[in-house]
Order: sequence, then C-alpha cells, then structure tokens
Amino acid sequence: MGIPSAPIITKAFKDLAILNAAKRGMPHERICFTQHPVWGKTPDELKVYVNGDDPVNNKPFMKEVVDALTVPLSDDEKKSGMVSVSVGPPTFTDTADNLQDFYLNNGYTDFLPIILPTEERVDAMMKGTSHHPDEVVGKMAAGAYPPWSYTVRHVAASAVMAGCRPEYFPLLLAVASTGIASLFSSTNSFAFAMIVNGPIRDKLEFNYGIGALGPFAQANAAIGRAWTIMSKNLGNGGIPGDTYLGSVGNNLNYNNVVIAENEEASPWDPFHVQRGFKKEENVVSLFRGLGVVPGQVARGSSVNTAPMFDQQMSDLFSTFTGFFGALIIADPLVAVRLHEQGYDTKDKLIAWLYKNTTQTVKDYKSRNYSYLFEYPQALQGVEPFATWYKLPDDAVIPHFPRPSSFNIVVTGGQTNAYPQGANMSYGVSVSIDKWA
Amino acid sequence: MNRRKLLSLLGMSPAILAGESVLAAQGEKKPAPATHSSAAPAKPGTGPAKITTVNPKGMPPQIQLIPMAPRLDSLDGKTVYLVDTGFHGSDMLLEQIQEWFKTNMPGVTTVFKRKAGPYAQDDPALWKEIKEKGNAVIMAVGH
Repeated sequence: MGIPSAPIITKAFKDLAILNAAKRGMPHERICFTQHPVWGKTPDELKVYVNGDDPVNNKPFMKEVVDALTVPLSDDEKKSGMVSVSVGPPTFTDTADNLQDFYLNNGYTDFLPIILPTEERVDAMMKGTSHHPDEVVGKMAAGAYPPWSYTVRHVAASAVMAGCRPEYFPLLLAVASTGIASLFSSTNSFAFAMIVNGPIRDKLEFNYGIGALGPFAQANAAIGRAWTIMSKNLGNGGIPGDTYLGSVGNNLNYNNVVIAENEEASPWDPFHVQRGFKKEENVVSLFRGLGVVPGQVARGSSVNTAPMFDQQMSDLFSTFTGFFGALIIADPLVAVRLHEQGYDTKDKLIAWLYKNTTQTVKDYKSRNYSYLFEYPQALQGVEPFATWYKLPDDAVIPHFPRPSSFNIVVTGGQTNAYPQGANMSYGVSVSIDKWA
Repeated sequence: MNRRKLLSLLGMSPAILAGESVLAAQGEKKPAPATHSSAAPAKPGTGPAKITTVNPKGMPPQIQLIPMAPRLDSLDGKTVYLVDTGFHGSDMLLEQIQEWFKTNMPGVTTVFKRKAGPYAQDDPALWKEIKEKGNAVIMAVGH
C-alpha cells in the first residue's frame, strides 16, 4: 500500500506472525503484540490490554503501536532483493539408526517409526508411475504461507516413509497433485478424508468390508498415513506454532479418514460417478472438516423401532456446523434400507435432509463459523447468508446453506445398520489413472 | 530449512523466537549428523553400515524482500485507519484503541473500518480508500 502500518497480533501467534512476515518478504515488520485471547473479553478487560504492556516486547503497548508508525526505518527495513531458501542436500548418508532419529527430530515424520527412504526404495516406488522423477507434481501451502512445489521424487520419498507399496503410488500422486494438505494451519484442528472409487480398490486390496475405517488393510493405513507425511514434507505443514495451530489437535491426522466405497453392496451410484467420472475410472475425492461422529448417538437410532435413518441422520447433522457439509458414511445395510423406503437415488435423500434439517436464525447467528465466515459474506450480498441475516431470530432456515452441502458414501461390512456422519465438506475429485 | 536459519538468512536474530514452547520448537531441533557425501562402506568390526536416503522436503519459493513504507514524522494531525479483519473481538479491541487516541493523542483522527469478506479475503477497495484518505493503518486480528 505504501502507507505505514502496525499489525496487532495476540501473543499466542507470535512465532506465526514473525515467520509469516519473514516468509512473505518483510522480516522486520513492526508487529505489536497484545494479550491473548481478545475473544470473549469485556471492554474493560480490553482497555487493560491497551493500556498495558506488549507481552512479547515488554514495552507499553500503545507506545509500540505509535513507534511502529513513526520511528524512521533502519537500513534493514528498506532492503529489497531475492533470498533463496535451502532445505538441505538432496540426500543424507548415515547409519539407519541415526537417520531414523534425524528424520524424526527434524519433523519429517508423524513421530512413528518410518521406512527409511533409501535411494533404492524411492527408485522402486517411482516404478509405480510412468511420470518422470523430476516432474513437478504440484504446489502445497502450509496455511497462509506461500506454497512449496515438489516433484515425483519428493512424493515417492514420503510414500516410502509411510509404508506404501509402489502400486499405491499413482493414487498418492493424484492426492499430491491437488495441493491439498491434510494438516491445516488453523486453530480448529481440522480433519481430512479421502474417498477411493473404481477397480483400484480391489487391485490395491483396500478394505471396504468389516471395519472399513479401521486399521485392517495396508492400503487404507499406509495411504492415509502417507497423506499426512506428504503434508509435512511437500508443503512444510504440521510444525506446531508455525505451520500448525490446532489448539487441541486431531487424532484423525495420523492417517486421515480413508474410505474405499463398497460400490458392489451399494444400491446407489458410486461417489465418483456422481461427480461425472465413469464407473471403471479410478478416482480419489478429498474432504475437509472437523471429524466423524457415530450415528448411534442420534434420535431415531433405536433398534427396537422401525429404522428411521433419514431422521437419524438429520438429528445427527443438526449438531454440525453448516459451514462444513455433512458426509454420510453409510453401511450398506443402511443404504439398502433407505433405498427400500423410497430413496432410490442419493439425491432424493439429500433433498429430504436439506429440507428437514433446520435451525432458527437465532441459533444460526450464535455459531462460530456463521460470524467468522458467513456474516462477512452476508454483508457482501452472498446468498443465502444475506437473506438469513435479515430474517427475525425465530425464523426457521435450513441448517446447511445448500443441498450440495451433503454427500453420501457407502462402505462397511454389513454386520449392523450403523451410519456415521462426518462434519466435512467436499473439495475435489481427481483421476488416479492419469498418474499411472 | 529450520525457522532459526530462515530468520538468520533474512537478517533477523533467531533469538526473537526464544522462549517458545517445547512443541513449537519441534521440527528444527537436533541438527543432523547426516551429510550428502557418498556412503562409506562399513568395514568388518567398525560398526553399522551407512546408507543413503532421499531428502523428502519439497522446494520452498524464493523470498522477495519488500521495503517497508516510509514512516511518518508524527501522528499529530494525521488520519489513522483502524482495520478490523473480522476475528472475534477485534472490533472491541480497536474501539479501545480509538478511545486511547481520543484521550492521549487527540490530534489524531481515527477511522474504524471492517475489512470486507472473511478474514483471509483481500479488500482492494479498502486499501485504495486508505491510500487516498489515510496516513497510516492499525490492523487488528484479535483471536
């Protein structure tokens, strides 16, 4: 802008603010820090913050602010030019034990033992694709930082570390090509999921039967783990206080929610067909959100009454934030029953859920994401938020902004009719075959 | 590259990160003994063999240094925009800063503005307005 500025950050984000300014080319930015948190404080409490000291620099806060705008620039603050950043040599040589420690201590892993990515193993992994080792696969950003780029070889190293087989590699390249990291810098402790469709489910021996979401098949386990290790290495994500800020964290980040759809037992079109792919194509679809909740907790889930899975799901989703969507993870028994009840397409069930999962405007406005993300859009006239914010508090509105907020996938071993619900929104579907 | 090395490269003291939590320091501790030299085959009785592994880290972009805008001689008689990014409590914090200026630097004119869109969205119209009508910016993120 060419105008002096004084950014104010709460002290909890000191490292993030300093490093973000540095990585964006202004390493000496005059950041003023105040106490944390600002959220939920009274005006009198905030007055104490303003009249108190900057808790990082230990100087009067407002003097810091005024100085930031008025003290003449130093030579360092006037610098321009380009700076190259190194991530070290392309290879490391040491004993296996030392390298295990090195990879762990430098944040390359998920803090579980890894398969060391020897040159031989990485070369073997790259035989799983026809793409050149030096081909740039994509770009991945750790939160607000500028994105990093990476090659087939970089992806292969993380794939080896996670315990993947070469035949898994095209799927991992497809995920990497999206640039979507499974570790996100937000304070929200986000979780991520992927849906795998097509004949590759059997070729790679994915489990989509009993315990489909559990640790019962190498493909589900290693591919999910690889996404997290890739996120740490390809885009430099997952460094607490720097590129990761989830306050409580999320156990699902260890290997994410990997769902191979049980296409054969489902009465509906597979997920990738809904997205315009052919049934015989191999496709991976990515989701982001807050986590997964079992359907057994919802009203209508009693086995002593006739199953009311639509009501059960609606009840479950009424606790979700509408900002993220609702991903229904249905055991085939649930899907078949719903089909028998008249929901002969996924879209029919989605239409019912959109219409019948509701909230009052008062409840809507009270939600965190409404204020943070949708109220600003309402001010810009974006629908349906603009209309919702004009309605009286007792007006009843849909719980989710649009029918496309809902998605359905079928998986599981049919040992019982239990659905699960993920407060997750759909991101993208990409071809795996393109990376074979 | 670890965070301390990055700051050193950009002319900053890594000590600015001193006092960080143990968790925040993860990912940069214990410099490696590993090198990129050729693997030395172990001789019988000399200890475990050395192996060579691939660095899995992607390629960071170059950093373009941006000169900071010239500072003002004084804020007296100037217009300072107070920009709320939309994080919870930012507006209330900026109101207190506005009150502070009224009491302690009455010669400063403050203008409160909420940036359009969610917090990460750019707002070029507001930046244009500030450039035309303002002399300085205080931006609060709250949280």
